[in-house]
Amino acid sequence: MLAEADNVATAIDDIEPGTDVPVRLGKEVRTVKALERIPFGFKIAVADIPRNADVIKYGESIGKASSDIKKGNLVHIHNLEGARGRGDLAKGGSR
Amino acid sequence: MKFLGYERPDGSAGIRNHVLVIPGGLLAAKIGDFVEGTKTILTADSGSGRTSRDRETIARTLIGLGRNPNVASVIVHSAGLGTGYPELEPTRIADQIARSGKRVELIEVAKEGSTFRALEKGIQVAREMVHEASRLRRSPCDPSQMAIGVKCGASDTTSGIAGNPVVGYLFDRIVGAGGTAFFGENTEIIGAEHVLARRGVNAEVSRRILKVAEETEARAKATGEDIRTVNPVPANIAGGISTLEEKSLGAIHKSGSAPVQGVLEYGEWPPGKGLYFVDNWMSMGSIFAGYAASGAQLVIFQLGGGGWTDKDLLSTSTAVVAPLMWTTANPKTLAVAGSCIDFYSGGVIENGDSIEETGEKLLQRVLEIASGTLVKVETIKHVDPTQIYLKDSPF
Repeated sequence: MLAEADNVATAIDDIEPGTDVPVRLGKEVRTVKALERIPFGFKIAVADIPRNADVIKYGESIGKASSDIKKGNLVHIHNLEGARGRGDLAKGGSR
Repeated sequence: MKFLGYERPDGSAGIRNHVLVIPGGLLAAKIGDFVEGTKTILTADSGSGRTSRDRETIARTLIGLGRNPNVASVIVHSAGLGTGYPELEPTRIADQIARSGKRVELIEVAKEGSTFRALEKGIQVAREMVHEASRLRRSPCDPSQMAIGVKCGASDTTSGIAGNPVVGYLFDRIVGAGGTAFFGENTEIIGAEHVLARRGVNAEVSRRILKVAEETEARAKATGEDIRTVNPVPANIAGGISTLEEKSLGAIHKSGSAPVQGVLEYGEWPPGKGLYFVDNWMSMGSIFAGYAASGAQLVIFQLGGGGWTDKDLLSTSTAVVAPLMWTTANPKTLAVAGSCIDFYSGGVIENGDSIEETGEKLLQRVLEIASGTLVKVETIKHVDPTQIYLKDSPF
């Protein structure tokens, strides 16, 4: 994890489903059980994130959850959408 | 935290000691063939058919490269920018550089009678300048005399969590010691401009940061393509980056945490010391020469993944007078491009090393390079053409 407010952490190794993953923020370490495979460099949810809630990394929003995300889920383009530059939404379109 | 540099008449300190011949073209190239220790800029753009804003950018770039502390003395010749535009008058360029107190010689082909006579004079003057420069000695210089510029590229997760923050730490140390640091890439603050704007030293700087993001987006849209449907690029997504916001937030970490003193145009000389955001283009063929023209003695490319090999790294030394240092935190990149990588920050991920301790090591490496240790790509005698960042269409 990169900031206290983050609800995702970055995998620094490939993580297999069911692994109890030590999640580090500074010197503090907490544990999150991986619900699915998380490849190196990808994000794991460290808290439940309801649909339409902000996904927080670097202490800032990196987009909105497009479905309910459980603690331990992989977070990527299948359940996270950028909120910026969405011309399709701005013109009244639906996703 | 001192480094050994060449003191210049204007109080700056060079980390290299070149003689610069500008503009590029036949005369500069042939002087370079004959005389060891000279540099020139390779660029096809002579200013012909360019708007006054773009002609001024070309002039500013040439003048800035001449003023760069790594340059001991300069030859300006009249055989390249012969378009008659006032911005590009060789006398103007020579005069502006000479204000720095360094020796500048103007060689005018018309006055010499022919290109070959001008070449003969150019070779003799360049030899004299190189010999004069060789008599200078390095002496201990203060970090406040240091200026560096950074670009990140082929960014992946290792960039956001290790590579960029380690460079950010270096930036904080140099700026904290009274030095100057540049970062830029106007497309890659979109989505993070609000975060960056909070770091503006005053409301005007914050407003200008937001304006750069807005203008860049508007120009992108004017092409008929929405930039944000193509960014993050597929390679970013394959590396774990999900959205443009995430990419931009990772990218701005390379600037550290210091307040942003101002927003500069490409190649613009900063009005003071500290951290500056440059409204520039991310292309590596362009950005580094711009930083050098703003006075950076050293430029850094913080590389992620993308499968780049040492061949890709070798062919990109386009800062003209400033050495290009490569850093990465990606072990796969280190494995295939190691012969060109000057600093590896992957220990942050592999061993849990702290950003601070790794950043201190990077600072030491930078001071060594500033004191004369070559960057890896300086061992290769090749420079690619520079694309000066011009914003308008040619007519």
